[in-house]
Amino acid sequence: MATLLSSSLLFSNLSPPSLSPSLSLSTTTTTTSSSSSLSSSVSLSPLSLSSSSRKKHSLSSSFKVKATIVASSEKKKVAIVNTNSGGHAVIGFYFAKQLLSSGHDVTILTVGDESSDKMKKTPFTRFSEIVDGGGKTVWGDVGAIGTVLEGLSFDVVLDNNGKDLDAVRPVADWAKSAGVGQFLFISSAGIYKQTEEPPHVEGDAVKADAGHVLVEKYLSETFENWASFRPQYMIGSGNNKDCEEWFFDRIVRGRPVPIPGSGMQLTNISHVRDLSSMLTKAVENPTAASGNIFNCVSDRAVTLDGMAKLCAKAAGLPVEIVHYDPKSIGSDAKKAFPFRNMHFYAEPRAAKDILGWESSTNLPEDLKERYEEYVKIGRDKKTMKFDIDDKILETLKIPVPV
Amino acid sequence: MAGGVATVQHNLKMQPSISLLPSAQSSFCGTKFNTSIQYKRKVCQTKGALNVVASSAKKILVMGGTRFIGIFLSRLLVEEGHQVTLFTRGKAPITQPLPGEADEAYNSFKSKILHLKGDRKDFDFVKTSLAAEGFDVVYDINGREAVEVEPILDALPNLEQYIYCSSAGVYLKSDLLPHCETDAVDPKSRHKGKLETEALLESKGVNYTSIRPVYIYGPLNYNPVEEWFFHRLKAGRPIPIPNSGLQVTQLGHVKDLATAFIKVLGNPKASKQVFNISGDRYVTFDGLARACAKAGGFPEPELVHYNPKEFDFGKKKAFPFRDQHFFASVEKAKVELGVVPEYGLVEGLKDSYDLDFGRGTFRKAADFETDDIILGKSLVTSS
Repeated sequence: MATLLSSSLLFSNLSPPSLSPSLSLSTTTTTTSSSSSLSSSVSLSPLSLSSSSRKKHSLSSSFKVKATIVASSEKKKVAIVNTNSGGHAVIGFYFAKQLLSSGHDVTILTVGDESSDKMKKTPFTRFSEIVDGGGKTVWGDVGAIGTVLEGLSFDVVLDNNGKDLDAVRPVADWAKSAGVGQFLFISSAGIYKQTEEPPHVEGDAVKADAGHVLVEKYLSETFENWASFRPQYMIGSGNNKDCEEWFFDRIVRGRPVPIPGSGMQLTNISHVRDLSSMLTKAVENPTAASGNIFNCVSDRAVTLDGMAKLCAKAAGLPVEIVHYDPKSIGSDAKKAFPFRNMHFYAEPRAAKDILGWESSTNLPEDLKERYEEYVKIGRDKKTMKFDIDDKILETLKIPVPV
Repeated sequence: MAGGVATVQHNLKMQPSISLLPSAQSSFCGTKFNTSIQYKRKVCQTKGALNVVASSAKKILVMGGTRFIGIFLSRLLVEEGHQVTLFTRGKAPITQPLPGEADEAYNSFKSKILHLKGDRKDFDFVKTSLAAEGFDVVYDINGREAVEVEPILDALPNLEQYIYCSSAGVYLKSDLLPHCETDAVDPKSRHKGKLETEALLESKGVNYTSIRPVYIYGPLNYNPVEEWFFHRLKAGRPIPIPNSGLQVTQLGHVKDLATAFIKVLGNPKASKQVFNISGDRYVTFDGLARACAKAGGFPEPELVHYNPKEFDFGKKKAFPFRDQHFFASVEKAKVELGVVPEYGLVEGLKDSYDLDFGRGTFRKAADFETDDIILGKSLVTSS
């Protein structure tokens, strides 16, 4: 049974006596010396690894060190097939770093070309952190995955790329033929059928023709040991797609924040370290994880209005929220707002029950950190246009700020 | 950390007294196993501590017990073999047959239940009568203020457990939901008496357990929760819902609540703990209206949304729920006690409808005054 250690000693050179000395909490090198069985392993939040955030990270709120007696406790060789863009790109980044700090072997294959323009955005610009942690970074196409990863063998593969069978099948087929023991997939909570009885719970009806659903089905038929993770929205340093930034952009410029509908819509915005820790739990407890679907989210909902308010609070600034009917702006509605205009709230019940996982997302605290970085990179001073916002404000007869 | 279904099944097998009595085919005794397994559990750890059965018969005092929760709870306690005394003023009948309850079951219950007549606000009487009797356990179902608890504790220095029916209404409104037991509470809320009671229990060092339900529903409900919808559905009227109708709330069936109250009895895991108890899922206002329709076999209702700020309803309540999101996580009770609600929403509402409103019984007569204000017309009654 997992024992939870609440650690205020975290940033000291702590080596819990019961652990193999090959696990250290420092960032720079992963000592991968010991291939012998570890009697226990420490799973860490990857935030401890990035030196810039180390000092600022508040221990009390979101960091836990767990001494986990893992079911199969050898070092794992993990391959992450990572998307080259979009909201999920950052998942592979955190997961890679967390695995490395836990003493596992990691190869991250980013789809496409290393020289692509897409690689000029985070998290890709920070891939040196993976290399520094002892991981391998490669690029290639999933169609040629066998060649790209030639000569390498893996215990675990995570597909954090495909949204449909066309994209995932080559990876799955290769993994199967290469004898990979555990196949993990980043799916989406977007596949749940809408309900009037939230939350979305694992096992609930999904949209039968959704790409991710067909992938999950294929994996369940192909692998003895597979698991699917259904995320929602996430925040975290190194993200590839705006989330909280959308709110900060407006709040810091004193612009109204236009939210469609009532603003009461519930959603789930997690810190990506929660997703990473859940995936790590699955890797370290493969028997328990096998054959399961996991909602890969934090354990609290926030309303759209609530998110705006929390962002403002994190910035220490006031916020003016205005609500509008998305129908009034026609086709622009989709681009106008970064979240689904409906209740979209899943709970991570399977992960808690089956993996003994716990959420550490603390939006009020995490958003403070996100805002600090937002200002640090100078985004608050950046010139921006808010064409769609202005359109919305016009329909509402609200004066457009100069 | 697997618990949930497997553990509950194990538990229920250990407590045969909760299952159907041979003669009593009353729907009340309809304990159903939640066998819809939503995900496979490969790791199954039976928690020894959860197999706690109230082993010896206890002398139990229920403050209240004749209106709603207590009616179901007291039956379970009597079935378990405890000696149960209800402390009430006697305004409501001490016992009443449950709808659908077999005569034999009711008579058996009636013959065993004891009554202590008095006003709990008469603190001297409470103290002397309770001290004279002596009780092992107190279930405080109707306590509202901390002062009401003091005389009880004074009278029973050897009390094994004080089990209190508090309320999720104590939680401070938040942008982050669901409410968890560790969340901030609101010392200014309407329910601050409940909070003060919890604080008193904590400070006295007594072995207490506090249960925080959300909205309770089920047959014999005296709070017009489901009844409010049923009246309108029966009358074929549109259902006026404030604002978007997307507000998310949560209902818990009274039988599940009674079961939870039993589960904490003599349970070391419940010692000095607070638990949210309610349904496993939440529901939007719109969804609840439709669920009530489904439960009662009514056609899909017309929902009318309105802005409450545009109306003055005087002292009347136009809608039975708080106009906000209000729901709590019931995970702690699930994980630590193995409490898993059995009733899904439509199923539970159907139970309420079939045993109560659908038989022509209800507590509050239909009152469509605020509806008519909203709908902007007045119905001319035919008689």
